[in-house]
Amino acid sequence: MSARRILLVDDEPHVLRVLRLALEREGYAVATAADGHAALACMAAQLPDVLISDIQMDGMDGRTLCPLARATWPDHPFLILVMTSMTALDERSWARALSNTEFLEKPLSPRQLVARLARHFAALPSSPDRPSEPPHAA
Amino acid sequence: MKFNRIGIILIGCALIAIMLVVTLLVIRQHDSQTAQIRTKGVGLVKSLSTVPLSLLRDGANGGVLASLLAYHDDSGFAYATIGDAGGRILAEVAGKGSMTPSLPLPASAAAGFGVRDLAAGGGTPALREFYGPLADRSMGPVFVRVGFYQPRHAMPAQDVSFLALLALAMFLVVPVIYLVIKREMAPLAGLSDQLRLLAAPGKADAADAGDVRETIGAMQRHLGQAGERIAQLERGALDTTADNRLLQYGSRKLNAALQSLPDALLMLDPAGDVTFASGKIEPLLGIPMERILGQPLESWCCDPVLRSLIGRFSGDLRDNARAHGVAQAVQFAPRNVDGRQLSASAQPLSGGHGTMSFGTLIVVRDVTREFLARQAGNDFVAHVSHELKSPLNVIGMYAEMLADSDDETLRVESLNVIQDEIERMNALVGNLLNVSKLESGSMSPERNRVRLDDLLRDAHDQALSRAEGKGLRVVLDLPRELEAVAIDKDLFRIALNNLLTNAIKYNRPGGSVTLSARNEDNEIVISVRDTGIGIAPADQDRIFDKFYRVSEGDAPLKRGGHGLGLYLAAQIVELHHGRVVLDSEPGVGSTFSVHLKIVPAPAGAAVL
Repeated sequence: MSARRILLVDDEPHVLRVLRLALEREGYAVATAADGHAALACMAAQLPDVLISDIQMDGMDGRTLCPLARATWPDHPFLILVMTSMTALDERSWARALSNTEFLEKPLSPRQLVARLARHFAALPSSPDRPSEPPHAA
Repeated sequence: MKFNRIGIILIGCALIAIMLVVTLLVIRQHDSQTAQIRTKGVGLVKSLSTVPLSLLRDGANGGVLASLLAYHDDSGFAYATIGDAGGRILAEVAGKGSMTPSLPLPASAAAGFGVRDLAAGGGTPALREFYGPLADRSMGPVFVRVGFYQPRHAMPAQDVSFLALLALAMFLVVPVIYLVIKREMAPLAGLSDQLRLLAAPGKADAADAGDVRETIGAMQRHLGQAGERIAQLERGALDTTADNRLLQYGSRKLNAALQSLPDALLMLDPAGDVTFASGKIEPLLGIPMERILGQPLESWCCDPVLRSLIGRFSGDLRDNARAHGVAQAVQFAPRNVDGRQLSASAQPLSGGHGTMSFGTLIVVRDVTREFLARQAGNDFVAHVSHELKSPLNVIGMYAEMLADSDDETLRVESLNVIQDEIERMNALVGNLLNVSKLESGSMSPERNRVRLDDLLRDAHDQALSRAEGKGLRVVLDLPRELEAVAIDKDLFRIALNNLLTNAIKYNRPGGSVTLSARNEDNEIVISVRDTGIGIAPADQDRIFDKFYRVSEGDAPLKRGGHGLGLYLAAQIVELHHGRVVLDSEPGVGSTFSVHLKIVPAPAGAAVL
């Protein structure tokens, strides 16, 4: 059984580093991107099971990335987790229309994230051996 | 003479009137005599016609006819005869000196009574004859005839005295009227005479002149009194005009005050129509004045919020709003003007201690600044909390990693990151405090004459420790002699540190930061030059704005800026009456130059 793939998107390198270490220790395959453009490039190469994204980012922000990712791969049921600092700058109404999308409040605890992901994968039908998806977007 | 002429006219008129009256009286008397004769004649003929013929014939001079002699005294009676159809007279009686004419009767006489006029002729005056058939026809048709003299137009003797009295009375009225007129006109006539005498040189004697003086004096007095009265009336009129002007002036002043109010005003009558709109309403609402005044609400008001506010104060709901008696306010963005926020409040306009209602007053105020300030305040809080949460987030995660990991390198890394993030937060909080002080006005620089050398060296040393970790060189380039400037040392250090932090943060690995100072004309120029990513021209105008951060689409690393450093540096330099000049080329680097005026040292001034 191949490892569950997780894509981390944040422009704060420290956050990417800590979360990557915490998730890799749990056996997840982790990819990181600094903004939406890089994230879409990663997804085009290989689709993740979970997309974890910050909202405020230079370049393409989370508000643009998440709906775009959903619209580009509508048949792929990946979970989207959005990291928010719950301030007025992180306006969240845009995510209401998105299916299978949840918020993670900052400051983020790696332990809680790991537990959240474990719950998510436990609820899924066991070991979905996905065919490798042809990339739709360059 | 004028008065004599009036007198003559009056006398003439009186005579004409008397003649008219007399003529009318005579005509009237003649008519009445004619009527009298007719009554007598007809009556006599009728009464004789019923008398039996025998009575009339018997005793020709002492019968019934004789009794008619009673009429003999009547000067008008001429004769009475009884005769047959052949003209034979059976009996007759005649007045004095009267002769019975022997004219035959007309054929119609047998049918009934009649009357005819007999013209004068042959010594006989004009007669009026009445005739009729006798009822007693024992001797065939017999007729009775009675003659009267025609009355003449003559004045009866008994009326002459009455007419004379009437004429006298009328004639006496004339002098009375004449005297009254003459008396009333006398002063004017006298004045006129005397003036004429005066006007004819050499003819005026002393007595006449005295009279004239007296009359003219009296006239002058009256004229003077009249003049005073006229002047008084004129003053009254003038006062009224002045009052009107004052009122007009006051009204204009009030209107000018209303027009120059910073807020726009709308006055509505009780029906809800606009009766007054100040000029400010046009730019605020973006609606031309002529579309507002006297037009129905629906036709001009395209802002639903304002319309509902005005609607609440007119029509059926008006009383309800007035009952509450409170001003109601709404805020809205006008449809016709972009980027503006208006607040409108409405309150009932009442006068006379609330007994009179003039409608409603709507005050429209431009609250764009307040709105933007409030928005900026909200943005500020959002920014600050966001900026504080980011390092907290990192610290929290590293702390957890520190707790969970036994790896020594990870522990060291965690501690370093936590240290960095704490510094970042500290810098942010420090800058926030300074910004707060700056904006509340409590940051007042204590300016002393300072040699910049030491300050610049301190700043260089601090920057050096921060730059080392990033592999950057920090160069200090100072001339041998620097002029002293008057600055607040502590504040200026903050500005300098922010510029240096910026230069380190946005530099590229292996780059350098140069801190230099030089004398230039009347200024000292302190420059911080970096070899970093540079600032795009589009960003250069806004780089000193609060919370403005350059978008770093292609930046490999998040710089951790919070948009306050440059803003604060520029503000502090401004407090020192200096300026910050930016010179930047994207991809090559940026130079921030602080220009400070050199203050000539007062004699004996201490330099710190």
